[in-house]
Amino acid sequence: MPVGGVLLDGSSNMDRDAIKQQLERVRDAAIQRKVDFAEVRCASVAHSALVLQDGRADRLGAGKRAGMGVRVLSKGAWGFASTESLGESDWLASLEDAIGMATVSATRLDEPVILPDIPGVVDDVRTSFEIDPTSVSLDRKLAAVRGYEEASGRSARESVANLMTGYNDAHQIEIACNTRGALVSSETVRTLVWHAITAQNGTIRQRAREVRAGQAGFEIVEQTPAKELSVKAAERAVSLLSAPPAPAGKLPAVFHPSIAGLLVHEALGHNTEADAVLAGQSILDGRLGTKIAAECITVVDDSNIPGSWGSYQYDSEGTPGCRRVLVDKGTLKGFLHSLETAGKMGVEPTGSARADGFAHRPIVRMSNTMILPGQSSLEDLIADIDLGILLRAGQWGYVWCEKGQYTCHAGEGVMIRNGQLAEQVRNVSVSGLVLETLANALDVSRDFELKMPGNCGKDGQGMPVNGGGPYVKVREIVVGGQA
Amino acid sequence: MTQAAPDDLLKVAEIACDAAVKAGAEFADALAERGRDLSVSVEKNAIASTDARLRASISVRTFVAGGTGWWSASTTSEEAAREAGLRAAELAQAAESDPDFVSLVTPAPYPRVEGLYDEKLASLGAPDVASWITQNIDSALGVAADAVVSGEADAHWREYALANSLGVQAAQRTTYASVYTQVVLRRDGDVGSFYEWDSARKLTDFAPADLGAKTAGEAARYLGSRTIKTATMPVVLGPLASRAIFLGLCAAASAEDVQRKRSFLVAKKDEAIASEHVTLVDDPLVPGGLWSSRFDGDGFPHRRVTLVERGRLRTYLHSNYTAKKSGEANTGHATRVGIAPTNIRPALGQRTAAEIIGEVEDGIYVVLGHPSPDTASGQISALVDAGFRIEKGELTYPLKSTMVAGHALEWLRNVDAVSSDYREEPGLILPTVRIRSVRVASGD
Repeated sequence: MPVGGVLLDGSSNMDRDAIKQQLERVRDAAIQRKVDFAEVRCASVAHSALVLQDGRADRLGAGKRAGMGVRVLSKGAWGFASTESLGESDWLASLEDAIGMATVSATRLDEPVILPDIPGVVDDVRTSFEIDPTSVSLDRKLAAVRGYEEASGRSARESVANLMTGYNDAHQIEIACNTRGALVSSETVRTLVWHAITAQNGTIRQRAREVRAGQAGFEIVEQTPAKELSVKAAERAVSLLSAPPAPAGKLPAVFHPSIAGLLVHEALGHNTEADAVLAGQSILDGRLGTKIAAECITVVDDSNIPGSWGSYQYDSEGTPGCRRVLVDKGTLKGFLHSLETAGKMGVEPTGSARADGFAHRPIVRMSNTMILPGQSSLEDLIADIDLGILLRAGQWGYVWCEKGQYTCHAGEGVMIRNGQLAEQVRNVSVSGLVLETLANALDVSRDFELKMPGNCGKDGQGMPVNGGGPYVKVREIVVGGQA
Repeated sequence: MTQAAPDDLLKVAEIACDAAVKAGAEFADALAERGRDLSVSVEKNAIASTDARLRASISVRTFVAGGTGWWSASTTSEEAAREAGLRAAELAQAAESDPDFVSLVTPAPYPRVEGLYDEKLASLGAPDVASWITQNIDSALGVAADAVVSGEADAHWREYALANSLGVQAAQRTTYASVYTQVVLRRDGDVGSFYEWDSARKLTDFAPADLGAKTAGEAARYLGSRTIKTATMPVVLGPLASRAIFLGLCAAASAEDVQRKRSFLVAKKDEAIASEHVTLVDDPLVPGGLWSSRFDGDGFPHRRVTLVERGRLRTYLHSNYTAKKSGEANTGHATRVGIAPTNIRPALGQRTAAEIIGEVEDGIYVVLGHPSPDTASGQISALVDAGFRIEKGELTYPLKSTMVAGHALEWLRNVDAVSSDYREEPGLILPTVRIRSVRVASGD
């Protein structure tokens, strides 16, 4: 059902060149209206999904969404308007709406926004993939998903209470056109497969979930064996049935790469978003060039990693994405920037302005954020810990940027006793203060994973991001356990 | 702003259903909707952007031998409706059968629910919306000249129509206004922050003017936060935190999760799952309620449901599918994608929140946090986003890096007080709740 290379409004197909020409006419109308800057974006997504539950693929879905968003800077103030129409007259009406919105913003302005004078790029890019999901039959998709479910069932056997396996693909096209001359068309295919199991022993139930996702086609499914997805989830859920609760209190901890990914995204990453810094919301305000973490911590956000869930070539403002070193050996080196924040801070934009479809304006976002690996082994990291906890299977987290207080949820823990991994404990949340945790980092491993694809929420916008890192050893963290 | 009548949306929904049936669907339902959102966002005491969004969509569900196909699109044109019906029917035919599916809901009269749509609110312009949040900047600065205010003001109108192939026709218009304000105070290397909001379906229920002052006052209370010793102690959940545990309970009471054996409330119907202080009513008919409406996502008429009565679980939350599958009464809690509660209204107790806190010798008071249980295991492990130490019945100092943990059923059975006073949001009752014994982890 999903379509490639075509923007659809349900009543007529418009090819990409026609869309580009229409965008340029609206852009030219904005120039005629003498705005400081205007950006006109058309975006479409066609998606499909299937869910296999308790042996039946009884829910199949698909759909498409397309529309246009226009953002104008007028007298130093921003206005934005969007429509789910693809008609030119509706787009021109939205332009007028956006200009009206900017007039409202101007009534309470801090200082006029001045964008850096960077010439726009003209380009057409498309992410590469091996197997176009639209070319894969439903039977083939179902067979793959059913294989995951059956393998999970064989692994968990009589412990199975419920199995769910899902598959989603999305084909996204975004064309951004602005008054600086940018005209960038980005075509992206993302594919995701997931498995969730609820295991049961008497009245005890434990749940585990695994996801594999990438900027890829159906090959991501074919390259993910069941042992890395559904069997992994099944084994964890079953073993958690007999695991005791995690302890409560402050403990030395080692984070698995998935938890390191959560930590670097939630605790540090959101604080490096320059819009938060300029809004007075970030604990990193005023700390550029200073030591904010231990020497072993180097943090990078890189939107150019081929195939990674959080990657892109151009952001929604038409600025090329890049690799940005945020923290180098503990020293804060830079922030993530849009055109606006780069202009305000007098630096180069980092291509970090991303919009969730056409109905939202671009805001500063992360892409693939990670702590870089070091030289130690996991065994080295735990060797001198008498009593601590290894936290694995990162699930979710959030941060209060202004206070630097964060929490992350681990799907399981393993106690560390006398320098050895000991008994498994149940899933648990941990908490800390960003700068304390980063300063208390003691070592990082050479083992590294970038496998935390997720949909990050900010200001009502969801965005594909990825996170990862090595194993990270921290002096202590608050563990919210029950024991 | 033009206001087309939902009748034309109903026609679009019916076109989609007809197309689906013609394409081979045994049953079909469709929801067509449109709306407009106005948003004014504030960063550092100034407007960052003013946004206007027009929304339109159609979603169609179709059924063949119980197998479900759905299709959604961002338009309400008749041609798109026909395509949506056809595509959804194709998907249902490809889906595997589900013998537990019986049929869609049949036509029935809908209750009246007043106060969900306010013509004045629907006709407001962006300057009106901006004034809500700029007033709050000024009122915050009036309390604390060093306040850094961020937030957002929103006004929405939405109209939608649902039809199905058995003749169900339902339509509704709603409006919604909200203001969210966060204040950050940085003093002597310390940070105090807080957020507050107000929301309503009609302007007469909406009073955001003093929110900034209130938030700034609260933010100052969080300067000087400290950790405490890890211990087991009474925990008092304030009005906003208590909502998390009740919503978590409602999530686990979803009949879909219970029937699929992935809820800690499996086989708990008519059992005592909480102390006798806990009675929860779900009422979608409250006039002007934030979660009120005349019908659910299946088009089933809404009604008031007692979920928990003096600690005993009286019903699960059902959709048309789960009710027919189990042979139980449909409670009308379907959304288009699952099951969800509406306006949760806990029964109130005899003592005030101040009295309940006053009885605690050594404990904590949670103002903000998300102590929701894992739906399958019932385990809770959550950060106290904002809270206070209670010593000898008094709130003494704010907390940092403090977490609460336990099992939802243990927490609910340990509820030893629900306050008589409460925070009221339209449709919702948010009381203070005390749990006599909770594991609290912190940094000392």
